[in-house]
Amino acid sequence: MTDPIIAQGTGAAAPVPWGIRLDGVTVRYPNGTVGLRDVDLDIAAGEMVCIVGLSGSGKSTLIRTINGLVPVTAGTVSVGGQRVDAARGARLRQLRGQIGMVFQSFNLAGRTTVLNNVLVGRLTHTPYWRTLVGAYRHADRQIAFEALDRVGILSKVWDRASALSGGQQQRVAIARALAQQPRIVLADEPVASLDPPTAHGVMGDLRRINADLGITVLVNIHLLDLARQYGARIIGMRAGEVVFDGPAAGATDADFEHIYGRSLTGDDRLDR
Amino acid sequence: MSAAQAASAPALAIPARPRRRAGVWIAIAVVAAITVITCLPAIGVGLDIAPIVANWRNGATKIVELLTPDWSFFPRTVAPMIETLQMAVLGTVVGAAISLPLSFWAARPTNPHRAFRGAVRTLLNVIRAVPELVYAAVLVAMVGVGALPGIIALAIFNIGIIVKLVSESIDAQDAGAIEAGRAAGGTQAQINRAIALADAWPAFVSQTLYVFELNVRASTVLGLVGAGGIGLLIDAVRTFYRYDQLSLIILEVLVVVVVIDLVSDAIRRRLV
Repeated sequence: MTDPIIAQGTGAAAPVPWGIRLDGVTVRYPNGTVGLRDVDLDIAAGEMVCIVGLSGSGKSTLIRTINGLVPVTAGTVSVGGQRVDAARGARLRQLRGQIGMVFQSFNLAGRTTVLNNVLVGRLTHTPYWRTLVGAYRHADRQIAFEALDRVGILSKVWDRASALSGGQQQRVAIARALAQQPRIVLADEPVASLDPPTAHGVMGDLRRINADLGITVLVNIHLLDLARQYGARIIGMRAGEVVFDGPAAGATDADFEHIYGRSLTGDDRLDR
Repeated sequence: MSAAQAASAPALAIPARPRRRAGVWIAIAVVAAITVITCLPAIGVGLDIAPIVANWRNGATKIVELLTPDWSFFPRTVAPMIETLQMAVLGTVVGAAISLPLSFWAARPTNPHRAFRGAVRTLLNVIRAVPELVYAAVLVAMVGVGALPGIIALAIFNIGIIVKLVSESIDAQDAGAIEAGRAAGGTQAQINRAIALADAWPAFVSQTLYVFELNVRASTVLGLVGAGGIGLLIDAVRTFYRYDQLSLIILEVLVVVVVIDLVSDAIRRRLV
């Protein structure tokens, strides 16, 4: 699905999105827990995918194999035609630099400014001495400002990250991912710590990133109504295996009951 | 009526309280036995309190002298006291500067290399095991009498304390922001500077103030082995049995330590 020639191209302003491919991926943690069990997956460049499943179903593991935060035990993972599982050191960091990530608990450095947090997204483009003395390039700062503006939070640029509300912190985290000028954005339960209106705001931001910038977006989510509303494609995970894969429009309640392995409750939806 | 209700209420099934009395008594007996054995002249220190009774008059005159400070001695104490403070400041600055990178290398989230981390921690355990007075005594022999061996001894002593406490605070930090830095493709050194430093900063400043307080206290005794400061003067007046002058020096040290305590407490409260 991914054209390697397009994927290798280094677009100037808007990077060309990357596809993702997993072949026979198994992840066994050192304590013996199996996170993923022989998973095959093909995600085209520019897709907006929601990965649903209960906690412990392996969706967090799946998303972390894509940027190599979790090493695979068997199988291959590639992004834009380049192997992630075989990459180490500088090569792996270079690949990670192309993949933005958003976390459930925002994962900001709370004691420093919003701008410094967003500039973390420019680390792969910044030599160490510039990081050491805090002298980021003018162009990198400009990219950070634009990323904050895109999620509508530029006015908080000099605030301390910990002083922001949960929704604002998650927007800063999205801006940090955008500052990487990524080809893929991974979001691991990005709205699980947020209240319903804020959750819709953050999901809307992720959808706009996909629609306006064309970036491939993967969102882990356990709320089926948000998955249906914001995802174009839904992948269902249970016990480390892919048990559903299809367009969001066609996903029925019965499909979700199959993914969850039980009947649906009010907790499975954001808006009741 | 209410008494009848209480009587008719079902009895609570309280589990039997575990019996640990015997263990406590054995522990007390062991401590008592070791203490008695230590006092036996044949194998212990040969504790004898008779000298206190025989020489109490001798001690009483010393106490009277200590209670009447020789205020006229004050001008001669000013320069050594200033030298003591200078040693404390320089020892703290040098020690803290060396401690900062070592703290990151000694903590798990900021140094994933197990062997490297273990080597740094072992080195620091060795540094901490030796008292600062011993460092000073050896350094006086190496670099000569004066403030320099005192400053070096204080710096070494401070490294042991700061690195231990700051690296433990880094270990206890939420590793989320560091994971985000790794996901963005930063090197460990970049992540430590751009993310971990911000979170470790209050602990670092707080421990640096703490070792400064310790240094003022410690540098008063370093002079006893020839390592400069007011300790040299303490040694001199003690040799001439001038307990009235010693008393004045003790008072001065007390005032300086209390003032530094108050100032550093005020600074620490502003560290949030």
